[in-house]
Amino acid sequence: MDPAHGTGPDDDADEVHLVARGIATAVAPATGLTDVQADLLQAIASALTGVDVDYRVLEPLGREELADVLAGKDLDYRQRIVHHMVLGELVLRPIPTAVAHRVHQYAEALGVKDDFVRVARRYAQGAYGLAFKDLQRNGFADHVQAGGEGEIQHGPSPAGRGASAPFEPAQVDPELAARWHAFADLPPETLGFQVWDMYDGRGFELPGTPGGAPAYLAQHDFVHVVADYGTNLKGELEVFSFIGRADPDPKGFAWLATLTGLFETGYIPSTGFFDRDVRERVIQAPGMHRRVADAIRRGKVVCQNNNIDLFEVDYYTIADRPVEEVRESLGVPAKGASALEAGSVGLADLAGMSETQQRMIAQRRGGTT
Amino acid sequence: MNQNFSQTISFQVDDPAPIIALLEQWDIDQASCDIMGYMGIRLLADRENLGRYMIIADFGVVDPDVSAADEAARNNARPETQATSAKMLEHSIGEPEYHHFDELYRTDF
Repeated sequence: MDPAHGTGPDDDADEVHLVARGIATAVAPATGLTDVQADLLQAIASALTGVDVDYRVLEPLGREELADVLAGKDLDYRQRIVHHMVLGELVLRPIPTAVAHRVHQYAEALGVKDDFVRVARRYAQGAYGLAFKDLQRNGFADHVQAGGEGEIQHGPSPAGRGASAPFEPAQVDPELAARWHAFADLPPETLGFQVWDMYDGRGFELPGTPGGAPAYLAQHDFVHVVADYGTNLKGELEVFSFIGRADPDPKGFAWLATLTGLFETGYIPSTGFFDRDVRERVIQAPGMHRRVADAIRRGKVVCQNNNIDLFEVDYYTIADRPVEEVRESLGVPAKGASALEAGSVGLADLAGMSETQQRMIAQRRGGTT
Repeated sequence: MNQNFSQTISFQVDDPAPIIALLEQWDIDQASCDIMGYMGIRLLADRENLGRYMIIADFGVVDPDVSAADEAARNNARPETQATSAKMLEHSIGEPEYHHFDELYRTDF
């Protein structure tokens, strides 16, 4: 498996199987891989490499053997393999201490020192408060703030970029609000109009207005349009899987790790912009493993095409361009058939909206409630 | 099921603010260092004895071959723990009381 540089179907099938054996051995509880683990890891392997691996029947592979398999790979590659292990344990609740410790041992054998391995160990230990501090300091917030200092810019910096606390409650900003209001006058096929329409239809307050999203967070809403993902929890998980893997920095995994903790296992109470919601187990929902895997695949292609954190793209300067043109320029591949069959709907599809958003759309369209 | 371990520290201070600041910094430091058994801490004020406080520090298993109590002992031997403890003592009136407990039950998921 080659999550960083793989070429899909050309990946060496034997190596994919060996790596899968290592991942499965690292994350298996005493009773064996759970269905969610097996389905998710299988879907990711298939989406990234084109090789179908049945995780339920793999022979064990020790950490030193896995290290030998990956000896010629660079650190980023090995780190992404470790992230697959971490994802495989993050969907467990509780995470057995033995699993978290084993993943740590595999990471060490691969020469990877990774914040998320440590966060998962804290979850396993039951030290949720410390884990949250750890995630904030060394994963999530650290990554976001580092991203804010990046040099990749295509024009004027969007408001909020590089702020020391990008997810603090948004401030009223008339200039930013005016930019968003102006999107309404753009042609319907443009990125700007479609992101405005997404806000307007769902009753979201525009960035820069009272109650609007922080400018930094609003960056991910452009990605909803570009990648064509819904805005319910399933859509959010897809969009952050996509963004996280599109990030050339492996720390982009923070998005997926955080959203999994918020919406799947409840290990995380809040990020400041999303609050914990585990009423509906998202990854465990039918087909979601394939949708997440496909989002990771698409993100990987975007990473290879651009080498840009999608939170750092200045969407304001390309807001007047047709969405299709923006997709082409970023090299965003179409959704895979597997994800579509599994129910990955587009941004405009009611099935991709929360119940509240659906009610708002109905009101805007002249319905009753 | 892993058995957690707790250490309690009872002490007297005129003002708990420096202790709170010390514990906050301790947590920040622990959150970004290599994982060990330390899970978290609570500082409680005694309502019947003003000026009396209790710290409850929890430890858990991170390595299946090392008990939580052993993790706590290892933690106690760390220079940073000794340094924090010494700073606490500077604020304490009299000698703190230490007690050690194995956890038998807790409300959990």
